[in-house]
Amino acid sequence: MPAESTFKRFVEVGRIVLLKSGPSAGKTAVIVDIIDHNRALIDNPAAGVPRQSYPYRHLTLTPLTSKKLPRGAGSGTVKKVLEAEGIAEKWAATSWAKRRAALERRRALNDFERFGAMLEKRKRRDGVRKSVKAAKKA
Amino acid sequence: MAKELVPGVGRLSRSAAYSKRQLYKGRKTGAPKAAEDVPAFKEVEVKGDKNGSTRRVPTAKAARFYPAEDVRKPKVSRKTAKPTKLRSAITPGTVLILLAGRFRGKRVVFLKQLDSGLLLVTGPYKVNGVPLRRVNQAYVIATSTKVDIPELSLSDKINDAFFAKENKGSRASAEEEFFANGKPVAKEPLPEAKTSEQKAVDAAVLAGVKKAANLEKYLKASWGLSKGQFPHQLVF
Amino acid sequence: MAIKEYQVIGRHLPSEQQPTPKLYRMRIFAANEVVAKSRFWYFLRKLNKVKKTTGEIVSVNEISEKKPLKIKNFGIWLRYDSRSGTHNMYKEFRELSRTAAVKALYQDMAARHRARFRSIHILRVVEIEKSEDIRRPYIKQLITPKLRFPLPHRVDFATKSTFVAHRPATF
Repeated sequence: MPAESTFKRFVEVGRIVLLKSGPSAGKTAVIVDIIDHNRALIDNPAAGVPRQSYPYRHLTLTPLTSKKLPRGAGSGTVKKVLEAEGIAEKWAATSWAKRRAALERRRALNDFERFGAMLEKRKRRDGVRKSVKAAKKA
Repeated sequence: MAKELVPGVGRLSRSAAYSKRQLYKGRKTGAPKAAEDVPAFKEVEVKGDKNGSTRRVPTAKAARFYPAEDVRKPKVSRKTAKPTKLRSAITPGTVLILLAGRFRGKRVVFLKQLDSGLLLVTGPYKVNGVPLRRVNQAYVIATSTKVDIPELSLSDKINDAFFAKENKGSRASAEEEFFANGKPVAKEPLPEAKTSEQKAVDAAVLAGVKKAANLEKYLKASWGLSKGQFPHQLVF
Repeated sequence: MAIKEYQVIGRHLPSEQQPTPKLYRMRIFAANEVVAKSRFWYFLRKLNKVKKTTGEIVSVNEISEKKPLKIKNFGIWLRYDSRSGTHNMYKEFRELSRTAAVKALYQDMAARHRARFRSIHILRVVEIEKSEDIRRPYIKQLITPKLRFPLPHRVDFATKSTFVAHRPATF
């Protein structure tokens, strides 16, 4: 494989992927082996994603990779390696994951909590408006 | 226009449908006429010596034809309406969102289910202007928010009869209803019995509302959908 | 339609000359048990002097994949009747199971040669264990060590909108 490429994310063993559809949609998994140019074998026992074949159409490549994962590793090894490299924490620390989590939280709010959020936003807006006005005067 | 908004919920209320279909035209007014007392038989003089001079004759001639078959009796229905099941999400203290009627969009507190199956709710009146009121649970969104009201004790007076309208008889004209001597008629205040019940209930509810932060503001604000919001995707 | 692998065992009906006739066993790829039995008689008729009226099925059972989560390379020998003649073929597939490989084979034959199920005989399905035994370049390219490739020309449908100001960047 040529080392130089303008592409940043590749389908490769150890690549962390985000699943877009199916029962595990929204979870991340790792590519354990490449089946062909349409599918890969993915796995993530820690997050409850069973080992399965997954089409690239239904997943997104993330910038994260597990460097030490051997090709075709079993579920036990996958769990160990991902844990040792702290992949789950690294993913949770990305702004992508944070945005997703925030969106999820926002969707799960009930009517009363939405109202509370509205009040907080109003408070923030008011503070900004006041400080802008004060700054203009000065 | 569709007759039903969703299965079970009509576009028009019962009274609106009544006036739209002009059902008042077929209404019977006045007492039915009293049937005249006619004797079943009368005496008729008969000529001829051997005929006994008089004879009893039925006043109404019997019909010449009889129905060939017996008239069928309509079947007596033994079905009875089951009491309305209260939705499991609705328990005393649940905040409801009203979807229809004069107070649509208001958030109110559920108190109990009445015998008619309607829900007894209150604003409370002091918070958002919704008085003690009955609503159908079909026109309500149940939220997961609850007002803590352990000290609430509803008097037995608050039942379906409590909400019945007083029958004042029909007035001669609309003019008379609203004007007297060229001046608007003064509005009759709500009877003391009703306002005192309202106050007693609201005091307990208001105490519960005050326990949680923002809850009073929440009840005061009305509910609505903004751009990009769809009720089936929201959590209530 | 999913294809399954069946083991079908049958024999000639016992007679006075031969009270214990020879058993014949076949591994057959078919959609269901009924088709599997039918294909068994079809092949047996061609190979031996036994047919459905003179024989009986002893047992039919499904064969399941031993390791359905391991990627394997399969070589399949087949014979198929084209519009102008009969051809033998060898094809390779990279799949998780024998049945998946056969399914892919039928799809491939239908696509490239318009061949139907009835005009294809699967002769042999073998898992290729050694990578040097792989003959076809389209499978060879997938077993190169440290294989990696990008996914170009991807449209993100997450931000769905009918009209947008800018075309999506697909690289």
